[in-house]
Amino acid sequence: MFERDDETTVERVIQHLRRPVAIDAGLDARVMQAIAKAPPQRRRVRPLWPLLAAAAVLAAVLIARPWTRSVPKADTLQFVLIAPQAASVALVGDFNDWDPARAPMQTAHGVWATMVRLEPGRYRYAFLVNGVEWRADPSAPAAKDDEFGTPSSVVTVGGRGS
Amino acid sequence: MGIGRVEPSDADLVRRIRAGDTGAYGALVSRYRDRLGRYAVHMIGDREDAEEALQDSFVRAYRSLARCDDPARFGAWLYGILVNRCRTTGARAARRRRMFVQDAQALDGAAHADTADRLEWTDAVDRALARLAPDYREAFLLKHVEDLEYEEMAELTGAGVSALKMRVKRAREQLQKYLREAEHV
Amino acid sequence: MILATLLLVTQVAAQDPRLERLDPDARSAVAAIVDSAHGIGLPVEPLIQRALEGATKGAPSARIVAAVRRLTVDLGTARTALGTNAVPAELEAAVAALRAGATPEVLAHLRDVRRPPLTMALSVLADLVASGVPADSAAAAVLALAPKARDADLVEFRRAVERDIALGAPPAAATSVRVNAGANAVFTQGSDPGNPAPPRPRRP
Repeated sequence: MFERDDETTVERVIQHLRRPVAIDAGLDARVMQAIAKAPPQRRRVRPLWPLLAAAAVLAAVLIARPWTRSVPKADTLQFVLIAPQAASVALVGDFNDWDPARAPMQTAHGVWATMVRLEPGRYRYAFLVNGVEWRADPSAPAAKDDEFGTPSSVVTVGGRGS
Repeated sequence: MGIGRVEPSDADLVRRIRAGDTGAYGALVSRYRDRLGRYAVHMIGDREDAEEALQDSFVRAYRSLARCDDPARFGAWLYGILVNRCRTTGARAARRRRMFVQDAQALDGAAHADTADRLEWTDAVDRALARLAPDYREAFLLKHVEDLEYEEMAELTGAGVSALKMRVKRAREQLQKYLREAEHV
Repeated sequence: MILATLLLVTQVAAQDPRLERLDPDARSAVAAIVDSAHGIGLPVEPLIQRALEGATKGAPSARIVAAVRRLTVDLGTARTALGTNAVPAELEAAVAALRAGATPEVLAHLRDVRRPPLTMALSVLADLVASGVPADSAAAAVLALAPKARDADLVEFRRAVERDIALGAPPAAATSVRVNAGANAVFTQGSDPGNPAPPRPRRP
């Protein structure tokens, strides 16, 4: 099961460790809340107005960003399709207006992948291969209501972060 | 939505923050969160602790932003803060917690078609990494995962280049040894 | 502020530029459906996405319009079952569950036993049926697990059932075995119960 050649082993370890690791996006909110409490040290004088301005900016950021006090947690998922013969693969679904231009996938050795950040919800999606062929995701639940005659899959983000 | 945007540079954002636009720091956090998170997760070996270290580093960087001499190199400067912060969590590395990283299925190639095999292998890697001495692990990650040059690593860690090369070499040897042992369990 | 918002949103469909991807016939029909759906407080994004899916797949206008209309009706049913506090994500998942064969009563029951959001629980119900589990078995399983299981546990349950089915187990049996095993077990992927962190990033 494990490679016999040690050098290859270390190279595989390196490849494994180099893979992206997605951190909980709620971290952004926690950082922003922490810094709102204590502006940068270089400010010696603390008039009220800059603090109010900062608070307003922070409020705007919190409202505009998906992570808010109301907890629903987005998730980042990886989508993969093995298609060694394909010239192009696009991920299309409810999260990107079914627009093939929005999520072209990257390939290495016939394996196509991309990462998408999703707000809580249930999303139908599919892979569009070479711009013409529709494929469902073999590793995901099937979307049964397939009213347009092509296969689709489903991915769900629950919203509770786990 | 979905329209291409030109992203502001780190230097632009730092300038705005220094001018009082606190919210702009959010963009820097988003930009560096995952990349730095990867280092923290592998170095510390525990996701929660890693996220805490990452969060602390971001807050600390904000608070000492005036000391970032070259805003265009904000990322590297932030990195140094993180590397130092990760060292203080060293004691917890002894505690083996299961850590999940991205499923390597697709990019692992043909060798491991079976999910159980693959998870076992990635677990063995995590355990082996956790067994390394902290300075070996740090050097190995900075060199091979974060792709730093030895000179940059020397700046970040305060160690000499030849000492760092030795640590990387030892780390490689030990990883090979631990993984060989894991195979024979 | 609220009045201004209301005035703005009545124009929601007319202004959504994404609908321009539809043929003119489909576009006006879909816009009308979207406007009336919005008028009764249903989420419009799922309707637009369904229309765009049809457009991308080159479906005939009539089919697109029919699909959007059907989805509107089902969203209404979902909302009646789950209540007006249900968020759009829950409603969409509820539609999937209803179409999979869950009854509105099942949805209401789920609402009573599980803290919101119900999105994942409803989704897992629908996905189980998609794997071949009979609707009433799937519903019973999800309702049994719903009070205590975390979202990640429900996902793991669904995956475990799918694996069993792939290995040849009859779907209903696979489901009930897993429910009985799972009701008291910890569903984490690891053997360490102290670490609840789910894999990131994960796969569908």
